[in-house]
Amino acid sequence: MMLDEQQLQKLLRLKRFEQPPPGYFDRTLNEFHRRQREELLRRSALQIWFERFISGLWSFRVPTYAYGAAFGAFLAAATIVGSGVWAPDRETVETSSDLARVASSPPGIELSSYRLGLSGDVDWSNFDRSSVSPRVVPVLRPSQSALPRYVLDGRPVSYEASFSF
Amino acid sequence: MDDQNLPDDETLVRQTQSGDTRAFDLLWHKYSPRIYSLIYNMTANHEDANDLLLEVFAKAYRSINGFRGKSSFYTWIHAIAVNMTINFVKKRGRRFQMSLDDLDANVQNDKEFIDLTAANTPVREVDLSELQHRLNEAMMKLSVEHRAVVTMFDIQGMAHAEIAKVLGIPEATVRSRLFYADRQLQNYLEEFRKK
Repeated sequence: MMLDEQQLQKLLRLKRFEQPPPGYFDRTLNEFHRRQREELLRRSALQIWFERFISGLWSFRVPTYAYGAAFGAFLAAATIVGSGVWAPDRETVETSSDLARVASSPPGIELSSYRLGLSGDVDWSNFDRSSVSPRVVPVLRPSQSALPRYVLDGRPVSYEASFSF
Repeated sequence: MDDQNLPDDETLVRQTQSGDTRAFDLLWHKYSPRIYSLIYNMTANHEDANDLLLEVFAKAYRSINGFRGKSSFYTWIHAIAVNMTINFVKKRGRRFQMSLDDLDANVQNDKEFIDLTAANTPVREVDLSELQHRLNEAMMKLSVEHRAVVTMFDIQGMAHAEIAKVLGIPEATVRSRLFYADRQLQNYLEEFRKK
């Protein structure tokens, strides 16, 4: 006759009675304390600090209100900058004196010393473009040899052959 | 101290986190017998169970600041114990040695024991130590993962959901492991009975 499931479970539950001798857990707790003390003495202060730091790092949680606060701060900064109440770098707006200084400086001056004027009051003639930036993009100019074209009924007259009349 | 007079786990964990080592001692008193039983039934070796018990609690103490209370302390320390024991058994390989010689004398008064050894049961003729030995032998033939599930469910009486949390597996997997393990155990014990 085979053991049925219930009998097997009953049999397994008997294993709860396999217990260590009385007083075992108290003695083991003393052993636990002894090992903890030994471990503390063995480790350097730096190791202990590092372990606590790592452990603290795992338990660190960003509070939920921090996300809202960060978004609020971003909105406030965007509003202040966008409304023009405050510009991040006022010197960039006040360019006229700077430009005069730049214009009077020698032609080998570094590009980084030029500032962009955002107000539109820049006197562009002060920039000697030929000495500062070489021309890279070809410029299309009207050809001297090209003839003017007259359009009649949608057809360019200058291109009409004589036999088409 | 009686378990019922102890502060709840949450309080004890908080006190330990703030540096009160006596609070951790109370957690030891509360959980060490269960953790010991879990490890012992997975390793079937008292010396190994003793060493692992100390290591499990040392690890729990070191990492208690990282315990956030998402699960109960009971589940958390069980998870540490099961994982450490599985790793240990896999490294150690198959070494089976029974070293707790006697069952607790209370077993003689246990209703289940009386039922089992009553007339018309297959284990009637088997004496107590032989029964113990037989069971452990059968248990050790299971894989360590199956042994863990059998120990927690059949021996410690934990619920499927709790075991699933401890092992980090779905409840359905717990049930299928239990089903498979029960069949295996029934076969092993039957073979022994025929000898």
